[in-house]
Amino acid sequence: MASAPEGAARAARGRELAPEAGRRARAEPFEFKLAQLPVYFLLLVGAVVALTPFFYMMSTSLMTLGETINRRLLPATPQWVNYRQAWTQADFALYFRNSVVITAIVVLGVLVTCTLAGYAFARIDFPGRGAIFMVLLATLMIPGTVTFIPNFLMVRGDVIPWGSWINKLPALTVPFLSTAFIIFLFRQFFMGIPDELWDAARIDGAGHLRFLTAVVVPMSRPVMLTAALLTFVHSWNEFLWPLLVTTTPTWRPLGVGLYTFITEAGPQTQYLMAGAVITILPILVVYFFTQKQFTEGIATSGLKG
Amino acid sequence: MSVRRSPGGLIAPSRRWREWLTGYAFILPAVVVIAIFGLFPILYAVYMSLYSWRVRKGAFIGLENYLRTVGDVRGALAFFAGLLLVLVAHWLWTDAFRGGRAELRRALQAAGALVLLAAGVAVALGWRLMTASGDRVFLQGLVRTVYYGFGSVPIQIALALVLASLLFQKIRGRELFRMLFFLPYVTPAVAGAAVFRTIFSPRPDFLANTLLSLLHIPPQRWLFETKPLTQVLFGGVLARLGVTHVSGFWAGPSLALVTIILFGIWTYTGYNAVIFLAGLGNIPQELYEAAAIDGAGSVQQFRFITVPLLSPVTFYLTVLGFIGTFQAFTQIYVMRQIAVRDAVDTASVVIFDTFYKRNNWSLAAAQSVVLFVIILILTLYQNRFFGRSAFGG
Repeated sequence: MASAPEGAARAARGRELAPEAGRRARAEPFEFKLAQLPVYFLLLVGAVVALTPFFYMMSTSLMTLGETINRRLLPATPQWVNYRQAWTQADFALYFRNSVVITAIVVLGVLVTCTLAGYAFARIDFPGRGAIFMVLLATLMIPGTVTFIPNFLMVRGDVIPWGSWINKLPALTVPFLSTAFIIFLFRQFFMGIPDELWDAARIDGAGHLRFLTAVVVPMSRPVMLTAALLTFVHSWNEFLWPLLVTTTPTWRPLGVGLYTFITEAGPQTQYLMAGAVITILPILVVYFFTQKQFTEGIATSGLKG
Repeated sequence: MSVRRSPGGLIAPSRRWREWLTGYAFILPAVVVIAIFGLFPILYAVYMSLYSWRVRKGAFIGLENYLRTVGDVRGALAFFAGLLLVLVAHWLWTDAFRGGRAELRRALQAAGALVLLAAGVAVALGWRLMTASGDRVFLQGLVRTVYYGFGSVPIQIALALVLASLLFQKIRGRELFRMLFFLPYVTPAVAGAAVFRTIFSPRPDFLANTLLSLLHIPPQRWLFETKPLTQVLFGGVLARLGVTHVSGFWAGPSLALVTIILFGIWTYTGYNAVIFLAGLGNIPQELYEAAAIDGAGSVQQFRFITVPLLSPVTFYLTVLGFIGTFQAFTQIYVMRQIAVRDAVDTASVVIFDTFYKRNNWSLAAAQSVVLFVIILILTLYQNRFFGRSAFGG
């Protein structure tokens, strides 16, 4: 996390060059060479290793209890009923709804707060701008293992007396409503917007907010999508924090729900795997549709863990 | 508030004020959230660590929690000084002397090597003093974190480099492969770990043991196995030599931790490959063409062009990987079995347990501050090693 800005800067530079390389490779007509057979073979091995757990998960999620115990590779007849069981009996419907609500709030919140802040840091001049920005960036170096203890006290209302948020929606959303990394991402992008546009907007009588919403935001779709995807993945996959602040199922997200299922359900692997599929599926769907932005966004961000 | 001239110095003061206020208003929501939940906690963690604080705040006890964590003050000082000396050694080796006489440069490099040696000794001796009286669980957690890092990071980077260079060839379906390799990284860790728990079940007919049986290796207990790796691998040989029990640092991680390491490799290899792929795109194609004219084969090209020119990326991924290791929590927490007790608990898991299970909040805070210092030093390494070589020029 610490090096996110450098990573982004480096990869941004890489991106300028990468398309060229890609084009060069694509321009030459493809011809299959026998010598490349080992390359394909090794790539296939890699793909099989990467995919086996997914295959295992899906096939197990469709088995009967007996089949999960006397290991089979595939279920004799797919037990789709397992999904209905997990969805209704094991509370995965509730967890799913919670995850959706939490993630939606966090993504929207991050987009709003970070767009505003990124814009201000890029295009409005005010005293202390550089210093405040540096301090915000420094927070990227602080690991979650350090922040979770004081933050737990914070959301219990021990530090600021706003009452306890434990098992309530704010505990799962408010701490994530803004992050320095996305501000940095937006700032970099907004700095590249030509001054002429702002001059023209000002002549038309527009202020910063007008300019931001009418001109800058529509121009910034790609970076907004990247930010939304990054935030979505992080929010959806968050585990330690929701584990701490949800002691009841009311607002428990999928990840923690799955974990409590592991610890409580015992040997009913087929439901567990159905729950895992339910947890993974939204990420996979989003990933398949936005693959390019997704991989590049994460590669440029240098985010990990 | 300081009064500074804005670049448009001719703007009327009232408008300048409005400009400032707009700026502050725009950053306000973000600053409030980050200040409260990102910045304040580090100060408050230090504050908490100075008290006796078990759920409710108790008496001020100064540095006692730290003493309990690191055990021996001199040992801890030697340990951290040793970690910082690595930076000094690197500085002596590369930057202390530029240009001028070669002998002087060589002398400084020799000094750098000596400092590095001293750093190693300081870390080792400091560590010995610390483990003699410190918090055994936490310090063992740090050792396991190091195992976890050394076990997963080099392997995932090597595999990623191979995959990336394979993908960089003119092949069909590159996008598809890249997508598939990246899939484990975006998978929620809880779900992935849940699947790995099943795959690495100790039962003989589950996937991991089935694969072993194809190689005529008896089934293993995987996540339930607390025996160190060396004993699992070479137990038979060792027993014949009369060694029935190996322990200590060089005995290696438990098989349970190795299983979690395998999960880490599965998760991050594709991610690293994608980053390598971006790095490969930056290597000028002309170099390969020139090498090909000089008669270098593809293996030689890989060895003498690709590997050296990617080394900044490699190092970047290494440090990033280790920082990630020190923060790793979810996969370990989800995959650990109660039966192995603390055999797989890395530092961050120990901190969580100190807080959540043992309810010693101030001790957990002190431990987290110690971990933070270590991560900070790793970050310094990263800045030090990358400041120039990779991104500076």
